[in-house]
Amino acid sequence: MNTQEEVGEFTQIFNALMSLMRKFIFKVLCAGPIPNHVSFIMDGNRRFAKKHNLTGLDAGHRAGFISVTYVLQYCKEIGIPYVTLYAFGVDNFKRQPEEVECVMDLMLEKVEYTINQAVSGNLKGVRVFFVGDLTSLNERLRVAAQRLMEVTEENKDLMVVVCVAYSTSHEIVHAVRESCVRKCDGTGDDPVVLQVSDVEECMYTSVVPDPDLVIRTGGGDRLSNFMTWQTSRSLLHSTATLWPELGLWHLVWAILKFQRMQDYLEKKKKLD
Amino acid sequence: MDLNQSMRLLSSWIAQIGGLGLDLLWRFIHLVVSLWYIVSGIIEAVESYAISLGLNKKYSSINIEKLRCLAVVVDIEEARDVSKVIELLQWLRTIGVKQVGLFDSQGLLKKSKDMILGTVPGSVLSEEIGEKNSSPDQNPLALEFISSSDNKEAVMKAANILLQDYLKSSRPENDKGENFFTETHLNEALRVVGENVHAPDLLLVYGPIRSHLGFPAWRLRYTEIVHMGSLNYMRYGSLLKAIHKFTGVHQNYGT
Repeated sequence: MNTQEEVGEFTQIFNALMSLMRKFIFKVLCAGPIPNHVSFIMDGNRRFAKKHNLTGLDAGHRAGFISVTYVLQYCKEIGIPYVTLYAFGVDNFKRQPEEVECVMDLMLEKVEYTINQAVSGNLKGVRVFFVGDLTSLNERLRVAAQRLMEVTEENKDLMVVVCVAYSTSHEIVHAVRESCVRKCDGTGDDPVVLQVSDVEECMYTSVVPDPDLVIRTGGGDRLSNFMTWQTSRSLLHSTATLWPELGLWHLVWAILKFQRMQDYLEKKKKLD
Repeated sequence: MDLNQSMRLLSSWIAQIGGLGLDLLWRFIHLVVSLWYIVSGIIEAVESYAISLGLNKKYSSINIEKLRCLAVVVDIEEARDVSKVIELLQWLRTIGVKQVGLFDSQGLLKKSKDMILGTVPGSVLSEEIGEKNSSPDQNPLALEFISSSDNKEAVMKAANILLQDYLKSSRPENDKGENFFTETHLNEALRVVGENVHAPDLLLVYGPIRSHLGFPAWRLRYTEIVHMGSLNYMRYGSLLKAIHKFTGVHQNYGT
C-alpha cells in the first residue's frame, strides 16, 4: 500500500471516529431539553475573508456557506426541527452594488446546487423555505428559490427557513398591510378590527414557531432588525467567533446554556 | 422464558442502563458548566470592584455623549424591588446618562412611576421635557416607563388607525395598499397612539437570561443588548464596563 492510499485510509478512519464521537456528544446533549427552533444571525463573513486574505467579494460568503452545511447537519443530527438563517437583510441592499450582485449570484449558485442535491435525494429530510421580500430579488434567484421550496416540500425532518431581503420592520409593515387588505376584502357586517393574530398570520416567518434560541456570530450584541417581534421569550446568545469559524462546540455550548435556562423560559412562556 | 424474550429483556435493560448513563453524564456536564459560571462570576465581581474603585484607568472617562438613549429591561420578579431600580437610576445619573427607558413586561415599574420620580433626584418624565419653561435641574434625567402593552398591542392600535383611514379612503379596485401602509405611516400612527418610536442605543437586561423579554419590537432594530445579571447583585463597575464597551462599538447598520 503506498503513502497516498495510507493517508486516504487514515482520513476515512479519522472521519468515522469523529462522526462517532459527534453522535455520542449529541446523544448526551439530548438527555436534556433541546430547543425547538434555533435562529442564526450569520455575521462575520467579510471579516473572515479579510482575516485570511481571501480575494473576491464573495470569498467570505463562500466560506460562510460551508459553515451553513455543517451547522444544518449538526442541527439535524441533534433533532432540532426548525432552523432559521438570517442570510440577507433589507439593509444589506445598501452595500456596494458589485458586492450585492456578487452575493446574489452566489446565492443563486448555491440554491441551484441544493436543488440538484435535493433531486438526487441527498438532502435527506430537509425542507427549505425562503422568506422575506422575495419580489426584491432578481427573477432567476426568485424562480430558483421557488423551485427549491417545491422540490423539498415533502421533507419533514428539518425545516430550514432562509431569510432573504428580510428585516423585522419590513416584516411588520408587510404583515400590517396584508392583514388590512384582507380585512377590507372580507365580507360581512362585523366591525373591521385587526387583532394580533391577524397580523402574525401574515408575517414572513409565520411558517415557524417563535425561536427558543438565537445565536449571533461575529461578536455583535444586537439583533440587527432580525425577528425582534418573535424573540420576546428567546435566549439570545452571542459569540465573538466569525460565522465561517462556527463549529460543533459553539453550538453545543449555546444549547447547554439554553438547557440551563429552560425552567425559566418555560415559566415565561406559560405567563403569556 | 424463551430465547427471544430473554434477548428482548436484556436489550431493554441495556437501553435503560445506557439511558441512565447518558443522563448521569449530562448532569455531570451541567455541573461542570455551573462551576465554570461560578468561577467566571467571581472573576467578574472582582473586576467590577476594581473598576468601581477606579483601579482600571480604562474606565475613568466615558464618552457618554454617544449614549443618547438607554433602556433598562427588568425581569418582573426583580422589578418588584423598586429600591434597586431607584439605586440603578441614581448610578446612571452619576455616570451622566440623560435618558432612560424602564421596561418590565407587566408594567410594575409603570405603577411605581410616581415613587421613582419622587425619589430619584432630577428625574422627570421624558414626555415632560421641553414642556416646562424652566427646570429646577439643568441636567434632568428623562425617564420613560414601558411595558408589553407598548409592544404588540401598540402596533395593533396603530395598525387599526391605518386600517380605518384606508377604509375611508377612495382606493382603486385591487389596490394592495402599498402607498398606504409604509414604515413612515406606521411610525406616525404609533406617535398618534402615544408611543415613543425612538430606538434606544443600548439595552441593559437585568434578569436571569439575556432576552429582551418583550421590549417594543419596533424600537429594537440595531440596539445593543447586554445582559447584566440579577438586579439584586448589580454592581456599579459592571454598569460602567457595559456603557464603556458600548461607546467603543462601531455599527455599519447592515451596509
